[in-house]
Amino acid sequence: MIYIAIAAYLLAFVTSMLAFIIRLFATNMLFRRIGRILYLFGRVLYLFGRILYLFGFAFAVFAYGYRWYDVRHVPLQNLFEVFLCLGMICYPVSWFCRRFLRIGGGCGDMLIGAIVLFPAGFVFNAQPQRLPPALQSWLFAPHVAVYALSYIFMAKAALQAVRQLAGQASNPDEKLLPPEEATYRMICVGFPLLTLGLILGSWWGKLAWGDYWDWDPKEMWSLASWLVYVGYFHFRYMFGTKRSRINSAWAITGLLVIVITLLWVNLSQLFPGLHSYAT
Amino acid sequence: MSKFKRAVLRIGLALIILLIFLSVYGAFIGAGRAKSFFNSLPLAVYWITLILLLIVGILVFRRLICVPWLLFIHAGCILILAGAVWGSQTGLKLQSRLFGADKIPVGQMAIFEGESENRVALENDDEVRELPFYLKLKDFRIEYYKPEYLYIQNRGGKSWKIPVEINAEFSLGDNIGTVRVVRKFENFKIKIEGDNRVPYDDPQPGSNPALEVEIQSPDGQVTTKYVFERFPSHIHPEDRFLLSYKRVISDYVSELQIVRNDKVVAEKNIEVNHPFHFGGYHFYQHSYDDQAGQYTILMVVSDTGVTIVYAGYLMLCVGVFWHFWLRHIFKAKKADGD
Repeated sequence: MIYIAIAAYLLAFVTSMLAFIIRLFATNMLFRRIGRILYLFGRVLYLFGRILYLFGFAFAVFAYGYRWYDVRHVPLQNLFEVFLCLGMICYPVSWFCRRFLRIGGGCGDMLIGAIVLFPAGFVFNAQPQRLPPALQSWLFAPHVAVYALSYIFMAKAALQAVRQLAGQASNPDEKLLPPEEATYRMICVGFPLLTLGLILGSWWGKLAWGDYWDWDPKEMWSLASWLVYVGYFHFRYMFGTKRSRINSAWAITGLLVIVITLLWVNLSQLFPGLHSYAT
Repeated sequence: MSKFKRAVLRIGLALIILLIFLSVYGAFIGAGRAKSFFNSLPLAVYWITLILLLIVGILVFRRLICVPWLLFIHAGCILILAGAVWGSQTGLKLQSRLFGADKIPVGQMAIFEGESENRVALENDDEVRELPFYLKLKDFRIEYYKPEYLYIQNRGGKSWKIPVEINAEFSLGDNIGTVRVVRKFENFKIKIEGDNRVPYDDPQPGSNPALEVEIQSPDGQVTTKYVFERFPSHIHPEDRFLLSYKRVISDYVSELQIVRNDKVVAEKNIEVNHPFHFGGYHFYQHSYDDQAGQYTILMVVSDTGVTIVYAGYLMLCVGVFWHFWLRHIFKAKKADGD
């Protein structure tokens, strides 16, 4: 099921990119009739891409639901389950951003979906495990789920920041926000979730280990990622959109630190700590 | 924006960037050293500077006072930092000097089953301090997930995972035979009766979980094997199977009573994620006697500063969600209404 979801996401990405190129080509064409036909073809391809994306999402949901049934607890225990969850929530986040925030990036979201599902399908150990005593807490699911959701928002923000740095503008027909504004809005949505994840983790640490802050490498990296976005907000407040490239650099740095927090800390031998069971 | 305000913002941003680098450094040096590093004198200066700057920021920027949710966010950060400083070892020492408050910061206590204890070994030195009340351990137990499993592997590499059910027979395939768990031991011992070695479950303190397993080959020959949880499986040349017995721990439970002036004043089962709060301390299930399960080790942590930190968390959370989410939602709803 995971492999089908990855394939669907990738196909959706390729189809949508193709549709974008065809439509771009069609609008600049001299021969209007051929241009119109090509534009329609691009539109059909775009819709096909969206359907494939939905199809991939359905399979990711099915895979996640089956995992839940199999392990008999919320499947957020290890990297395999977290990445499966990330792959599943890409589509609803994408839909939410387009519908309520006027932020595009559908193509990029399809690629994010495929990228996060790839390690779940090919790299991480999928062996079901029972929850150790420390993970048997009502805070376990909300802490990890909130973080997963915030990571997807921040990944989308970084993608918009890359678009801003690349000098891309939004299609005026679609009435979407320009990339810099979109980055800001995505971070505004993701930051409260990141804060909640950090606080829930700290509270849980107090209940499980006796201290709300244990100076564990995972905690230090997650604090660093939270602080990068705090820095982003203060920098943007100081300079507004005058230094938009640096604003974007903050957003991209934030995602890099998140990737380290999520992956490097758990996979590397450099950072042994209380979160080592999450591999 | 005035020069002073700009300077405050710049210093704030510099402190944020510095803390990012310090956090990354802390991640590389490991939790133990990071704790000492972040509690050192130069870092104490940093924390106090950050608290002061946040206070100055609130006083200087009118927006931080006029927009309540921004005030919540920044005041929340102040409370978190202040609570952490107040509850730190240095903070407790300061309270001891100023107010005569004499609390144990962090320590551990070992309590045997059926006995009472009030001595706490402090975490960072050899000192032993006493609590003003006693903790009595009624019982300590380890709970395991059910069912437990017996793992079987033959020489061909084929493996089976069989739930431990006494006397239930499981077929391993027509050409391989059947397997049956006959007995389960919590504390496996052997006694000599005449010329025979007889295994028995010793009720005395100790722990040696094991299974007695009968394997029947297709020709009806029965062999008895003992599989131990604590000792790695071994295989003799004549053996057809490698057997192993693994249980997964689901919980550690200490049944405790608080005794003051020979009276039981409180009772609670302490488990992982379910600490006990009494008399200004939190008690956590920390470790146990892994040989015989006769005693538990509790971690004792002072609750000083925790309420302030939690109040800060609440303010920060409410402020952040209101400022970034809710006010936009309400604004949009109002605009829709108009």
